[in-house]
This record gives sequence, C-alpha cells and structure tokens, in this order.
Amino acid sequence: MAKKQTPRVLIPTGFGLNCERETALACRMVGFETDLVHISDLSAGQVSLSDYGLVVIIGGFSFGDHLGAGKVLSIRLLNTLPESLCDFVDGGGLLLGICNGFQTLAKMRLLPRLDGVDTQTVTVTGNEQGCFHDGWVTLAENPGSHCIFTRGLDRLDLPVRHGEGRVVTASDDLRRRLLDEGHVPIRYVDPLGEPTMEFPYNPNGSPDGIAGLCDTTGRVFGLMPHPEAYHSPLLHPQWPRQKREGTLPADGPGLIVFRNAFNYLKEA
Amino acid sequence: MTDFLLEALDQGLFTSITDNGAGGLSSSVGEMARATGGATIDLARAKLKYPGLMPWEILLSEAQERMTVGIPPDLLDAFLALAARREVEAAAIGTFTDSGYFHVLHDERTVALLEMEFLHDGLPEMRLSARWNPPTARPLPAIELSPEEALREILARENIASKEAKSRQYDHEVKARTVIKPFTGVFLVDYERPEGVVLSEGINPWYSDLDTRHMAMAVVDEAVRRLVAGGARPGTISALDNFCWPDPVESEITPDGQYKLAQLVRACQGLHEACVAFGVPLISGKDSMKNDSTRGGVKISIPPTLLLSAMGRIDDVALAQTPEPKAIGDLLYIVGETAAELGASEFARWIESRHRDGTDAPRDAAVGGSPPVTDPVLMRTRYGKMSQAIAEGVPASVKTPSLGGVAVALAWMAFGAELGLKVDLDAQPVTDGLDLWNRLFSESSGRFLVTVPPSRADRFEDIMAGEPVARLGIVDDPGRLVITFEGTTIIDSDVPELKNIWQAPLARF
Repeated sequence: MAKKQTPRVLIPTGFGLNCERETALACRMVGFETDLVHISDLSAGQVSLSDYGLVVIIGGFSFGDHLGAGKVLSIRLLNTLPESLCDFVDGGGLLLGICNGFQTLAKMRLLPRLDGVDTQTVTVTGNEQGCFHDGWVTLAENPGSHCIFTRGLDRLDLPVRHGEGRVVTASDDLRRRLLDEGHVPIRYVDPLGEPTMEFPYNPNGSPDGIAGLCDTTGRVFGLMPHPEAYHSPLLHPQWPRQKREGTLPADGPGLIVFRNAFNYLKEA
Repeated sequence: MTDFLLEALDQGLFTSITDNGAGGLSSSVGEMARATGGATIDLARAKLKYPGLMPWEILLSEAQERMTVGIPPDLLDAFLALAARREVEAAAIGTFTDSGYFHVLHDERTVALLEMEFLHDGLPEMRLSARWNPPTARPLPAIELSPEEALREILARENIASKEAKSRQYDHEVKARTVIKPFTGVFLVDYERPEGVVLSEGINPWYSDLDTRHMAMAVVDEAVRRLVAGGARPGTISALDNFCWPDPVESEITPDGQYKLAQLVRACQGLHEACVAFGVPLISGKDSMKNDSTRGGVKISIPPTLLLSAMGRIDDVALAQTPEPKAIGDLLYIVGETAAELGASEFARWIESRHRDGTDAPRDAAVGGSPPVTDPVLMRTRYGKMSQAIAEGVPASVKTPSLGGVAVALAWMAFGAELGLKVDLDAQPVTDGLDLWNRLFSESSGRFLVTVPPSRADRFEDIMAGEPVARLGIVDDPGRLVITFEGTTIIDSDVPELKNIWQAPLARF
C-alpha cells in the first residue's frame, strides 16, 4: 500500500449498487479522499488498488440479487479484476462491506477467512421472517474483537434494510469459534443491551445476534446495518425527541466506522 | 440502465429522453418527433428480447426498462461506446426529421407512414353528456355504544389500523436522505445543506359517494395541510393529480355513464378551485379511466378516486415537525373549526356496517350527512400562520386530523409518543350545537392538533390570532388517553392497550 498524505477510498459502483453517494459523503466527512469507479472500469484496469487505503463494497442490490444477494457480484469481483482484493488486503489494505457488500465479501470467501479462501464457510441468506425489513436496530460492540472498524463503538443505533441478512455458518462449532475468537465485532441487542434473537431487535434471525463479521487481521469487516446512513443526527427516527431532550448527537454517530478506518491508516 | 443514463447525462451525450410505456416505441418516438416534425425508424435495428416478432409487435411492445433517447449524430459513437462499457444494450434505430411524417420501416421496407398531424391531432373530440343528480345521504343509524367502545372498534378497522408491517417492507432510508419517514416524508436535497423537500398524499374515495367536488377539495386540503404540518413553506407547493376512475362514458354496459361523467366534471371543478385558491400548480399527473370489471355477471366499478401527491420546500429540515408529542407538560391546541361533517366518514361507515352485521352498505350513496366542505381561501391564511409558527420553532408536534377525526388523531399522537394526553372537548371550536360524535369523529378539513411547550404558548397564540384556535388539553404522564366533555369523562383508555388494538389487525400480512 502506497503511503499518501490523505488516505483514499475506492468505492466500486454500478450494476445495482446504490449507496455510493452517502458512502462517499461519510468517508469525506472523516477526512478521506474518495473515488467512485464503475466496476466495468475496474475490470478494465483504469485504477490501481495500490493507490487506496480502503475499499468499500457498498449496499444496493447488485445484479438484481439474482442467484442470491451478492452472488453474481462476488463472482465478478473474483474473476474480472486485474488485481485481487485478497492481495490488496494481504498488502495491508482495509476492506469494508456494507449490506450487499457484506453478502458479497462472505460469498467471495474473504469473510471470515479463518483457514484460507478455498472454501466458503459462511453465507448471508434470507431473513428468518421471510421478507425484506426496514428498521433501526441497536448494535453492541464486542470489546474483545480485533476488528479495527468497531473500536470504541460501544452502543450504536443504525438502520437495516435488507431481505437477506441472516448469517449462517457451516457448523455450530464454527459459529462458536467466530464468537470466541473475536470475529463477531457487533451484535444486535434488545432494549436491555443483551444480544437477542427477538424480532425486530434482531431484524433477520441471525444466530447469537450476529450483525457483522471480521477476518483474522481485523482489516476486513462486513456488516448488514448501514453506518453511512447515519451520517447526520437528523436521520435517526427519534431525532425530534432527542433534540427536545438535548441528547441530539453533534454529528452522525455512524461515522465512527469510517473514522476508525481513517485513523488506522493515518497511524499505519 | 439508470446509472448509465445518469452518467451519459453528466457527459452531455444526449439531448432528449422519453420512457417506453404504453404504446412502446410508437408512443415514445411519436411524442418526441413532435419537436422536429417527423421521424424515420427502422424496427429491424431495435434490440429484441427474443426473435420472431412481427414489425407491429416491435413497434407496440411495452417491454419494460427501455428508454428512447435523442442523440446528436456527432455524439452517437461516444454514447454507444459508454453503453457497451456499462453493459447496457443500445441501438440507433432512426432519425428525427422535419418531413411531417412518422415513417416506420422494417429492414428498409415501409410498414407504416402516418402524417404527424394525424398522429397527434387526428382523434375526433368526443361529445358526451353528463347529468348531476346529487345523492341523498342516508341518516346515521342509532348509536348504542359508548365513545370509548366506538374508538376501540374504529382503531381496529383496516383503513385505520397500523400499516407498519407493510411499510417496513420497502426501503424508506434509501440514499440516506430521509429525515422524516416513512409516509409524510421530509428529505434532504443536498447532504451538506439544510434545505429539504416535504412529500405528502391526499386521498379519500368515500366522499365521492356523496359529491366528488367536495371529495377533490378535501383531498387537496389534506395533502397541502400535511405538507404545511411537516414544515413546507406555502408558495413552494406543487402537486400531481392521479385519477383512477370508472368508465364515465354512457353505453349498454355503463347505463349510469352520465352520472359517472358528472362525477368526473365535478371532481375536476373542485380540484381546480382548490388548487387555484391554495396556489398549488399541478405539474404532472396521470389518469386511468376504465377501472371496471365484470365478475360472474356482476359489474364492479371502482369508486371515483383522486390521489393528490404534493411536494413543497422546507428551508431547514431541522425545523420539520412530526405528529407525536415530545414532552410531558406541553400544551395541546386545536386549530380550525369542527363542523357536522360525518358524511361518508370512517365513523359513519363503521356504525352503518355494524347495523349490517359487519357488511358494507351499497355505494350508490353514503351515510351520515354532509362530507367535509372545504374553504381553501380561509385555510390558506391559516396555513400561512401555521407555517410561520413552525419556521419560528414554536410547536413541539403537529398532527393533521383526517380519517377518523380528532379521536383517532389523538390516539395516534399518544401511540407515537408513548405519552398520555388529557383532553377537554368543551374548548373545541365548533359550529353551533355540535354533538359529541361530531366533535370526536367529524372529518372536517383545515384542522391541526398541535403541542406547544408552555414557554412558547403565548407566541403560538399571537401567531394564530384570528383563527379558530383553542387550548384543548395537556401532554400527560405515560399511559392514559383521557377525554372529557361537559364535566364527564367519556374516554379513559390505557394507551398501550389501545395501541395493541390498533396494531393487531394487520400485524402480519
């Protein structure tokens, strides 16, 4: 990874991904410079991954979610990019997948990547209740996780909007290992702050309230909730009451995920 | 395709665009050709989803996700190259001309040659008769239930019950711009600037059973009032009128065509009068005029329905208002007069269906007297004052009573806040001698329920001077909705229990 004054973010776009503007905004707000590049231009080698500190695979419904959310995009990114995202990560780069991006990274076998990338051990699949769900959830940080994106996150409200957000592991042993070894940086919690299976606090029936996963390095992170969609305090459904009660945050609490990435790269 | 077109637009690669909807290429190209006075297209060049289509099928196909784009010849190569890079199928199918003809070829053989004049102005104007016979409303049946029982049953009716399960099945956070959601929407125009746009809807097909003119005016009022309540500035409001109508042309299968046409005329008159008075231009719209079906020998016609979708600007989204009260001790006001206008209301239809063992009455007329009669000239002044109060940050919440009247609106406010309300209806501005049922359930236009912090109450009353406005109660400790009238408590309900009644019917669907 090239050392630059200001860390740069690459945001691949197109083919039904649709969160590029707010993701770029969130990145700019914490200090990044951003490039939005169409996936077909990435395939054509128009940019070099070595110019970037962070790549964000954003939310949307790439390729119409046909064959399962993120499946076609994962095949595309694995097979048509001149440089591999795997090498980018191994070279010290940060990789963040949000919603459709998380689904894609799991299907690319970049998450959780405990024992290499040859086998897919985790997928993100249909919500237990059987339909799309839009709502705000509360996440709690696992302070024992080595994920660099969630440091100091503690408790965070974010919106979810997906039909396929349930994290399924190849075995129960694997799930326990993910939990024990810090690969589950954030979980859905109930109003008492406990990891939950109860809808709608857990919006998809993900076991143990798993809302996101990271790899062994902590530099690859995928999550279903949308941190970029809380770039302004006025996006929270209770902001009018927070304003009245004097508890309205000064800036968008979702920015912490991007700020952590920025600070990590500045210090690297 | 949309991403590609936006990119091509940013690069200035085309100069006109129309979507392919009804009529397919014949309509999109035919419409666009009006600008130059003609067009020549070769259907053999169009991309097909599958082979074997006849020329007329290609011309008329309504296959979705297709756009027709006008491109200057020197930009064509760049346009097609970008399309190929973005994996979007595109083909040059012809040329806009000034020949005066819409000339259609298939593989260089002419298959249609129509004069543009005929294409656009060739349809002879219809001459139809309309006859307006005002229906007589059936009187309200006797009401044997208490107000509290009435409220409980009405909250569980399908048009009132919570639609949360459904509204959470679409993405109302898309693009991370929505400040108020999901229905009356306030969203940011530009992420880093405070201006926003407020969206709202007005619809009520039931009033059409009495008079489509009053229906249309009430619908315009509802949409405009909801915008103003959200924080939109009057004077910036525009709207779309969407008509969904039964066949209004008299014929053997539509013997009541003259009446249905009169309903259409009166709806247009009401729409025109209200929009002119409110200063709301109709910038687009849509009509669907043949919504009839014969099933098992029985003809079913949908009620005359007008959906008004309105939008207006708000200078600072941080001043947007929501319906739920914010703090215990805030004062509750009502703005606007309540009149004897239960005609075709949710309450009147509920009480009549109760007398019919739960079945709906025939829709050849309606029950309950006059529908809401809207005076947009009077209301425009009122909405200007409400807008000023919101711009100054005076209210803590603003709600617009409509379907189900004040009683349902108060219940919804309590549900949203999970706070209680203590309300005295004696103070309510009403027409002379108005009874309790009307006070609770009349759907009169032009009304707001507003909560105001005590420290800003004087300012609120100053701004509202000259309007029918009254202090109706107070935001109370959590748990109870209490309504009194003439010294008697008529409703004293547990808010979570009421909320459960409201949420249960459509909780999963």
